[in-house]
Amino acid sequence: MLLIFQRLWQVNWAEQWQYRANLIMYLLYWLVSPIIYLAVWTSIANSKGDVNGFTANDFITYYMTLLIVDQITSNIVIHTFGYKIQDGSLSGELIRPIHPMLTNALVNNISFKGLTIMGLIPVWIVLFFLFKPDFSNVALSGVLISIPAMILGFFIGYLLSATITALAFWTTRVYSIHEFYYALILLFSGQFVPLTLMPKLIQEIAQYLPFQLLIYFPIQVILGKLSTAQITHGFTMAGIWLVISLTLFNWVWRNGVKRYSAVGA
Amino acid sequence: MQTLKLLSAFFKVNVQMALAYRADTIVNILLNLMWLGWELLSLNIIFSNTTTLGGWGLGELIALLGVFRLVNTMMIAIIWPNTEKFNQSIRDGSMDYTILQPVNSMFLVTFSRITVWRIWDLALAIVLIVVGINISGDTTSPLSILTFILLTLSGAIVIYSLWIVLIALTFWFTKFDNNVTILHALLDAGRYPVTVYPAWLRIIVTFVIPIAVATTIPLQALRGDLNLNQVILFFTVGIVSFLIASRVWKSGLKQYSGASS
Repeated sequence: MLLIFQRLWQVNWAEQWQYRANLIMYLLYWLVSPIIYLAVWTSIANSKGDVNGFTANDFITYYMTLLIVDQITSNIVIHTFGYKIQDGSLSGELIRPIHPMLTNALVNNISFKGLTIMGLIPVWIVLFFLFKPDFSNVALSGVLISIPAMILGFFIGYLLSATITALAFWTTRVYSIHEFYYALILLFSGQFVPLTLMPKLIQEIAQYLPFQLLIYFPIQVILGKLSTAQITHGFTMAGIWLVISLTLFNWVWRNGVKRYSAVGA
Repeated sequence: MQTLKLLSAFFKVNVQMALAYRADTIVNILLNLMWLGWELLSLNIIFSNTTTLGGWGLGELIALLGVFRLVNTMMIAIIWPNTEKFNQSIRDGSMDYTILQPVNSMFLVTFSRITVWRIWDLALAIVLIVVGINISGDTTSPLSILTFILLTLSGAIVIYSLWIVLIALTFWFTKFDNNVTILHALLDAGRYPVTVYPAWLRIIVTFVIPIAVATTIPLQALRGDLNLNQVILFFTVGIVSFLIASRVWKSGLKQYSGASS
């Protein structure tokens, strides 16, 4: 099994490396909105002194950390896999004795991630000198605890996206469904603004949803804003959502493959 | 006259293409409404924490959202689909047929595909602008409305010209098929007044990829922030950039050698 993953990694890494120019464009595209939110909120904090206790530096550190966390926990499986179901090119992968979504597509996403993070590092350093964040409150322990939090976040996000991608077995409008899913992420993950500044109702709902586990929870862990009890609670939620998303994905996938008719083959 | 006839012919063809996918159109309109809801909610969140953003009030930001949506519609309804077709035609050589037509090739390349259902987005944008101005309670004179319309047009022309230059580069660098990504990526910066951005970002979105010229600046004209010289300057920028773009397009066309022969 390990050997399979190793080979898949070599293939996918080489494949992604081919597209490094596209990757830089993707990175640029993805960078713009966090930087805009950063600029908007720091400008408000600067004009008022603080926003509900958030100083300009709090916003800068929040979004600078978000750039890293989001890059680690997000995935592009809808773009790399959705079309395979629709045009029938999935057939070849289905007859292999390994799960297409949980091996090849997963490794493909991780190698993509590895390359974008390599591209992100220099950009992040430049932004660091432009915005001069003060990270003095960040402790090593927070960073270490955030690693399992981000890994859990990645797998939950990956399984949820994979579930939506697998809906392509039933409908051709899977990209529209994904757009709706993306709006939910914007609303409940803390991508737009730290969740505590959201309306109360949204905060209440966000607590029970998986989306904050992808962004808000790891950021708060890194920045050392959570008590031990809150961290334990976060990890418990992550465990529960990992089980739910895995079950959901398996169920959708198994029923979907039964319906698969290999269009065009 | 001939141009108008051609435009209406393109429009008809594109309506027919869209009618083949009616359900998709409905889904797209629903998604579009969802994003509008999100945009208004995000403005609401910002303004529940502050009363002004870079000196602008809620009404002015709603109007800015309207102007942003005008540019965004141009991006999605015209720039995006035509670029896709253009890049394809450079790769497979079907650009040959476009050049053979007895019509301005630049016009043909930039208007033959129109995502028709997006037209309703224009109406929505105008509603946002009107509502926004009403909320802001700014005193708008007929003159400021006139300069607003003029600068919105010239802003759109600036973006259009930049697009022409970007796709014309494909004549020299055939593999450059990411040509509009940079424009698309920075477009989001037009949602907020550029006065809130740090200097380096303001310089990028004003002079390098001039999104602000099409979004913030027309609204500044409406607020009466611009003096006559500035209005004339930005209007001239629109005309000059169009002239430059047509020159670049013409010399790019000379580079084109076909893909199949």
